[in-house]
Amino acid sequence: MSKVPIRLSVNGEAHDLLVEPRKLLSDTLREDLHLTGTHIGCEHGVCGACTVWVDGRPARACLLFAVQIEGHEVTTIEAIAAEGRLSPFQQAMHEEHGLQCGFCTPGIVMTCEAWLREEPTIEETEIRELLSGNLCRCTGYQNIVRAVLKAARRARGNAA
Amino acid sequence: MNGEGPIGKRLLRKEDFRFLTGSGRYLDDIEAPRALHAAFVRSPYAHARLRHIDLTRARGAPGVVTVVGGAEVNQWTAPLRMAPPIEGLHPVEVATLPTDKVRFQGDPVVCVVATDRYLAEDAAELVDIEYEPLPAVASFDAALAPGAPLVDDALPSNLVSHQTFTAGDPARRFAQADRVIEAVFGQRRQTHLPIETRGALAIWDEGRQHLTYHNPNQVPHPLRSTLAARLRLSESQVTVIVPDIGGGFGQKIALYREELTVAALARHLKRPVRWREDRLENLLASSHAREDAARLRAAVTNTGTVLALDLALMEDFGAYCFYPANYLARVVAMILTGAYNIRDYSFDVQVALTNKCGNGPMRAPMAITSWIIEGTIDKIARELDLDPVEVRRRNMLRASDLPYVTATEQRLEDITPYETMERAIEEVDYAGFKRRQAAARQEGRHLGLGLCVVVESTTYGSAFYKAAGIPGSGHEAAWVKVEPSGAVNASVGLMASGQGYETAFAQVVAAGLGIDPAQVRLHIGNTDVAPYGMGSRGARGGTAGGSALHLAARDVADKVLKIAAQLLNLNTPDQLRLAGGAVERLVGGAWEPTELTFGAIARTAYLDPLRLPAGLEPGLEAHRAYDPPPMTFSNATHVCEVELAPATGVVHILRYVIAEDCGTVLNEMIVEGQQHGATALGIGGALYEALDYDADGQLRNGTLADYLVPTACEIPNFEIIAMHTPNRRNPTGSKGMAEGGVMGAIGAIGNAVNNALAAFGVEATQQPFSPEYLRTLLRGPLLSLSRI
Repeated sequence: MSKVPIRLSVNGEAHDLLVEPRKLLSDTLREDLHLTGTHIGCEHGVCGACTVWVDGRPARACLLFAVQIEGHEVTTIEAIAAEGRLSPFQQAMHEEHGLQCGFCTPGIVMTCEAWLREEPTIEETEIRELLSGNLCRCTGYQNIVRAVLKAARRARGNAA
Repeated sequence: MNGEGPIGKRLLRKEDFRFLTGSGRYLDDIEAPRALHAAFVRSPYAHARLRHIDLTRARGAPGVVTVVGGAEVNQWTAPLRMAPPIEGLHPVEVATLPTDKVRFQGDPVVCVVATDRYLAEDAAELVDIEYEPLPAVASFDAALAPGAPLVDDALPSNLVSHQTFTAGDPARRFAQADRVIEAVFGQRRQTHLPIETRGALAIWDEGRQHLTYHNPNQVPHPLRSTLAARLRLSESQVTVIVPDIGGGFGQKIALYREELTVAALARHLKRPVRWREDRLENLLASSHAREDAARLRAAVTNTGTVLALDLALMEDFGAYCFYPANYLARVVAMILTGAYNIRDYSFDVQVALTNKCGNGPMRAPMAITSWIIEGTIDKIARELDLDPVEVRRRNMLRASDLPYVTATEQRLEDITPYETMERAIEEVDYAGFKRRQAAARQEGRHLGLGLCVVVESTTYGSAFYKAAGIPGSGHEAAWVKVEPSGAVNASVGLMASGQGYETAFAQVVAAGLGIDPAQVRLHIGNTDVAPYGMGSRGARGGTAGGSALHLAARDVADKVLKIAAQLLNLNTPDQLRLAGGAVERLVGGAWEPTELTFGAIARTAYLDPLRLPAGLEPGLEAHRAYDPPPMTFSNATHVCEVELAPATGVVHILRYVIAEDCGTVLNEMIVEGQQHGATALGIGGALYEALDYDADGQLRNGTLADYLVPTACEIPNFEIIAMHTPNRRNPTGSKGMAEGGVMGAIGAIGNAVNNALAAFGVEATQQPFSPEYLRTLLRGPLLSLSRI
């Protein structure tokens, strides 16, 4: 299949790439840009491990073709603690033991970071709804919920 | 060893930074120049003769380097022979890829190797295979029906394993009994579902004749032994490197046929070959689990004393045996009597092959045992109109009964089932539940409460394997090396897939050396670095691996103190200890600092050996192995309260309490995380998860949209009560854990839902208790209610 040139903007940097039109955004990030923090768990849009941001909104990288993303800005897990310092939510995940094997973690961070940057509530049922698009087989979710609550409380505390 | 410095502390995990920032390194993150990608062509039939395989079109496809089937791969590899000397177990042999027939939908037949994964999958579409479909058997009953087609043509029947056992005189006890109460239980087929699927990257060095094999596997050394043998290489020609593992749960133990094929192809092609299965393959063709059914007959008195038990257990094992077929069912039967004093016991365990994906151990492979015994106790209470807790009290072992040798000769000691039960029911106000239940009923709400007393078998020692006739061992090995700078490296034969070993084991080693855990770095997952150990499985990591590390650290500490005594001009190190990174001396009943630091002694040991005591070798390291007792037990009581919506069949968990005694814990936070995860996995199986095969052996729910696993909305918050008491048989006091949560959830949910269903006069006997299943049970009773 012939490749087409695209310009992909990822984490604030522009990349000129040659990709097959059928190449998934998830594969392009991982293979062409070596951004392997975006994980692939199901390739049919259910598990949430490949969650990235497209123009600041969470999206499944396995349900997008790279060619669709020209003209949009992609943000991946690698941009969240770019200075080597964990974000408040990453820090809360660390403190609350919100991760075990870590494979689903980047997707969970991307989902929750986006939510926390809006106006987070501290309603547990809403937080559980938020997390329902990301599967985790290790933790039983309880400590992830605690981490989101902790980060949301801190964010509200700062805003107040 | 409670109170010894860092042991048990809630130390935050060393692993977290890399995982939280996307810089973990999983299999598919490893770059390999010139690597080729493999894709497998799988059988669409559950059972079919392979008539003809034509690879011509696929071989001509763009990017394709080679396309091979069993005709080629079986030349390069030895078959898997599974033939332990176990009475009633038929030996079986599995070729790397089938050449005569396929045995389940998803059976790999052909491997395509191309320059990228997309092209390999394109070419896989061009492989022409002519199948002659055969009748399939897709259930235990169908497999054992007269005239059933054979799954394995080399066996006399599909009954691949059958064992019976009797202790005491159950027949006499059944004759004496006031009542015989019978209960049945079933779990449907589940799968482990690690979020990272299987995969491998094989790199063959033609010059050195050496294979470097990257594979997310829980047991690196046993994997290397098998891989080398099946490739007909020496164990010194294979290095297994295990990167971070994205979840295992027992799925990543065996050497799978796809993974062996990839290794053989790398050697044949003299180029790196990699494979990562997709999720559909993982659901269809990796490894499945459970799908067992049981009937337990209990001989009881009118007051609820259990005189004897008689178990019939049946497991549908799927098409291939990557483990001895009796491996999982055996333990269910062995530990069935749980926390109870029941001497007269018999079992009959049958395992059948069917045309479905092969079974393997999934976190708590023995889990159904808890539901069987605890569900039967509840049923006894229902039938005799007794309180289920009273029936438990009447039969349960107390501290004064220990050590207790069970009917199957398991030695129970240092367990506290009675104490955890009493504490858990107090926590949930068990005494007030009937009132709450009645009050809710007035509002049209249907509550149920269930408890499950768990006795969890962990850390199987070499004596267990010997007695079971299974090749292998239960020991674990470790080394601890203090470098000249005082930095500490340590290793163990285990492999982590989320258990936080790098943190918890740093705590163990640091405790032994009197240093900060931050100074200890654990190196695992490389067979050239780690000592030969048996890997991570069966809740053995902390108990077996932690103990081996503890012993090695103690040896190193002994040497440090010997050196310190010499440097301080003392005759013996008896009055010295290591604490806070330095040597302390007992003077007049108080520990006082000396000028010697841990680092200074390390430097002396390596760089100034003439100052060492006579007879001590330069250097500072120790290597130890630890073989635990045949079986170690921890225990817990799970209590859960549910609300059942009769109109929809939906079960909502209102409250979930776990009182657990798993001995000395190495890191309390990590242990709680394991309790959460195990219990959540159990809830998945109890309420949602089932691989749905039709009668022809076609999987009908092979996507993540159809195979339902719990999300954050289905799992409750767990209230954990730590009641840990040390295990006197283990050097660290640990008892093993991380599977018992599954056992507890299956039993507690089973009992809670049946408690709620009792008002309708129906009983749920097969998990998952899906809304569809519960509605089927409730439809009749609800109709008759509406007619009243």
